[in-house]
Amino acid sequence: MTAARPRRSSEIAVGDELPPFELEVTPTLVVAGAIASRDFMPAHHDPAFARAQGAPDIFMNILTTNGYVARYVTDWSGHEAMLKSIKIRLGAPAVPGKPLRFSGRVAGKSDVGGECLLELAVRVANDLGDHATGTVTLSLPLG
Amino acid sequence: MTKVAREVDDLRARLEQYVGKPMGPPSLAPDPVNVPMIRHWVAALDDRNPVYLDEAIAATSRFGGIVAPPAMLQTWGMPSPTIQGIAERGGSPVEIRSDNPISALDAAGFVGTLATNSEIEFVRYLRPGDHLHLSSEVESISTRKTTALGQGYFVTWVTTYRTAAGELVGRQLFRILKFDPSTIDLARLKAAR
Repeated sequence: MTAARPRRSSEIAVGDELPPFELEVTPTLVVAGAIASRDFMPAHHDPAFARAQGAPDIFMNILTTNGYVARYVTDWSGHEAMLKSIKIRLGAPAVPGKPLRFSGRVAGKSDVGGECLLELAVRVANDLGDHATGTVTLSLPLG
Repeated sequence: MTKVAREVDDLRARLEQYVGKPMGPPSLAPDPVNVPMIRHWVAALDDRNPVYLDEAIAATSRFGGIVAPPAMLQTWGMPSPTIQGIAERGGSPVEIRSDNPISALDAAGFVGTLATNSEIEFVRYLRPGDHLHLSSEVESISTRKTTALGQGYFVTWVTTYRTAAGELVGRQLFRILKFDPSTIDLARLKAAR
């Protein structure tokens, strides 16, 4: 495993955009996330069950959504980032065949307790609408 | 007051007794934080952050060693499921149902569930060996709302995660809409989509 150089807090400014990321959503990806997060709800692996509940297909569980939001942010910040919170509003389901488009922007930056605290506005959307929108707060060492 | 309005008030009044009370009994995570589950997660989400598995890089990072992906917080507390009959239980992984606002709303016909908000706070990152204790409390229950999915109530609860020593390590607020599928306004739902 290689580590990219962690982003320095001095290199980051309010208004900076995170590079967009598109995630291809397949049945395997949905099921892998559900089971890795120990979520055995049939709606996340059984298409017939999901459709009987009114969903178009199996859909991503919330734990996996949070996991991808965290990954999207730390792919950008590097491994010295420490997440403080992930606060999201949930919307359109993430279903196979509809890629998720991740975007983000630095909405706040402050020095708190010897750390750089960043607020990132994050949006995850597909063709059905916004899957998740919200704020991730993280800290980076000053410098 | 009409009969219907009085029934509405009765249900909301019954729900009020749950506010500030536990969602269910406190629980202990089935397993302590461990590297095999971290490896499974990292592979499933293709997350290359080296502090989750690369001991050498993790040791020189601010964390000083391997830490679990923060978003796994909820995963550690997921109960071991009873697979047999899971679909018949509506997807509930466990057989024991607590007396809480969700079971009360299910019984009153509000059987639909839609998650609307998740807010996780990480007090500190978890390390292999941390064994989490969970407790959850109902924070609020809305009045009856008319939504695109029909009549329903928003139920909000907070789960608190502590180590065996009682150290607070994280919190998660969760809000769901419990709705009555027979009241879905199809015209409004279509317009919303």
